[in-house]
Amino acid sequence: MTIRHHPGDEFLLAHASGAGSETVSLIVGTHLALCPPCRVKVASMEQMGGALLAGIAPAEMSASALSSAMAKLDDIAADKPAQSSDPLPPVIAPEPLRSYIHGDIDRVRWIPIGPGVSYRPLLKRRDARVQLIRTAPGAGVGTHTHRGEELTLVLTGGFTDVTGSYRRGDLQTTTPEIVHRPVTDADGYCVTLAMTDAPLKFMSPIVGVLGKLFGF
Amino acid sequence: MTKTDSPPPARLNDLVVLIAQSRDARAFELLFGHFAPRIKGYLIRLGTSGAVAEDLAQETMLAVWRKAALFDPARASASTWIFTVARNLRIDLLRHERRPDFDPNDPAFVPGQEPAADALMMRDDEDANLRIALAKLSPEQAEIVQMSFFADKPHSAIAAELGLPLGTVKSRLRLAMVRIRAALGTLP
Repeated sequence: MTIRHHPGDEFLLAHASGAGSETVSLIVGTHLALCPPCRVKVASMEQMGGALLAGIAPAEMSASALSSAMAKLDDIAADKPAQSSDPLPPVIAPEPLRSYIHGDIDRVRWIPIGPGVSYRPLLKRRDARVQLIRTAPGAGVGTHTHRGEELTLVLTGGFTDVTGSYRRGDLQTTTPEIVHRPVTDADGYCVTLAMTDAPLKFMSPIVGVLGKLFGF
Repeated sequence: MTKTDSPPPARLNDLVVLIAQSRDARAFELLFGHFAPRIKGYLIRLGTSGAVAEDLAQETMLAVWRKAALFDPARASASTWIFTVARNLRIDLLRHERRPDFDPNDPAFVPGQEPAADALMMRDDEDANLRIALAKLSPEQAEIVQMSFFADKPHSAIAAELGLPLGTVKSRLRLAMVRIRAALGTLP
C-alpha cells in the first residue's frame, strides 16, 4: 500500500499541538495509523512542542504544590506498557476509528440515503462533523464544492475525481476553490471517513445525496 | 517549593526512567521542580488562569508518575513526552474531549521503521539542533509556529487574526517544517 495523498502540515500540527478539535484528531489519527511517513512528521512536531515547553518562562508553583503532589504518589498505581494482543483477523478500521464504531466496518448500521450511497454519523463537535460514507461501485454523490474544508480518508475501495485517485489510507483535502464530482472505483464498495466544518454547496438545483448528508 | 538547578536534558530522561524502574520519589521531586513551573507557564500562555494551570500542572506530573513505564527514551526526550502528557490532559480535563490517536499494538496499524539503535545517543543532539533551527526561523515563520502551539486556534482562525490569506499561513508553516525537519534529519 502506497499512500499518495496526505494531510497538509497544518492538520498534522493541529493534531500534534492539541489545537485541533476531536473531529480533526479522529481523522488525522486514523490516517496516522496507516501512514508511517506522516507519523515521522508528527513526531518532529511533538519534538517542537517539547522544545517550546523546555524553553518557556516558568510560572512559579505555590509553596504547597510539591508536597501535596508527593503525598499522593503512594496511592497511584503505575500503568504498564500495553502488550501486543493476539493476532486478529484482518481489520479494516484502525484505532482510533474502531473505538468510535465499537467494532470494525462490518458493525456499522448504514443509513441508506440515495442510490448506492449510505452513511453513518459518528461525531459532532461545534461546527464540525465526522461521518462514515459507503458508496457502491460507479456511484457518486453529485457535483459539489465546499464552504469550508472537507477531509476525506479512504478506508476501503477507492474513488476518483478531477484531482486524482484515492485508495486506502489516502486523505483528500478540499477547499472552497475545488468543485468536484467523486465517483467510486469499479472494484467494489468504497468506505470513507469524512469531516466537514461547514455545509456543502451543490452546483445543480437538484440537490445530490450529499445534501442530506451534510445539509446542516 | 524548593528551587532546584535545571538538570541537563539527558538527566531529565534518566529521572523518568528512575521513576519507571524504582518509583523513585527523589527523581519525581527533581522532575517536578523542573517541569511543573514550565507546564504551568505553557498553560498560562494558552490562556488558562493561574489557578487552573497550577492544578493541571500538578495533575500532569502525577500522570508522569503513573505513566513513567510508557516513556521510551529512544523515541522521545523527557520534554517531548511530558509535553504530550500535558497536551492530552488539557484536552481531557479542560476541553472535555477525547484524544483520538493511533495505537501501535492495533492489528490494522501499519508499522514503519523502528528508531535506530543509536537514536538514544542522537536524541540530545537533535534537541539542541531543533532549538537552533527554531531560533533561526524567519519572524513570520516563527509567529505561525508559536501561534500553532499557543493560540489554541485552527489555522483558519490564525490566518483571520493575522489578516493573512489562509494559503500564506499554510506556506509559511510548510517552509518552517522543512527547516525544522532538515535540522532533525527527518526529511525523506
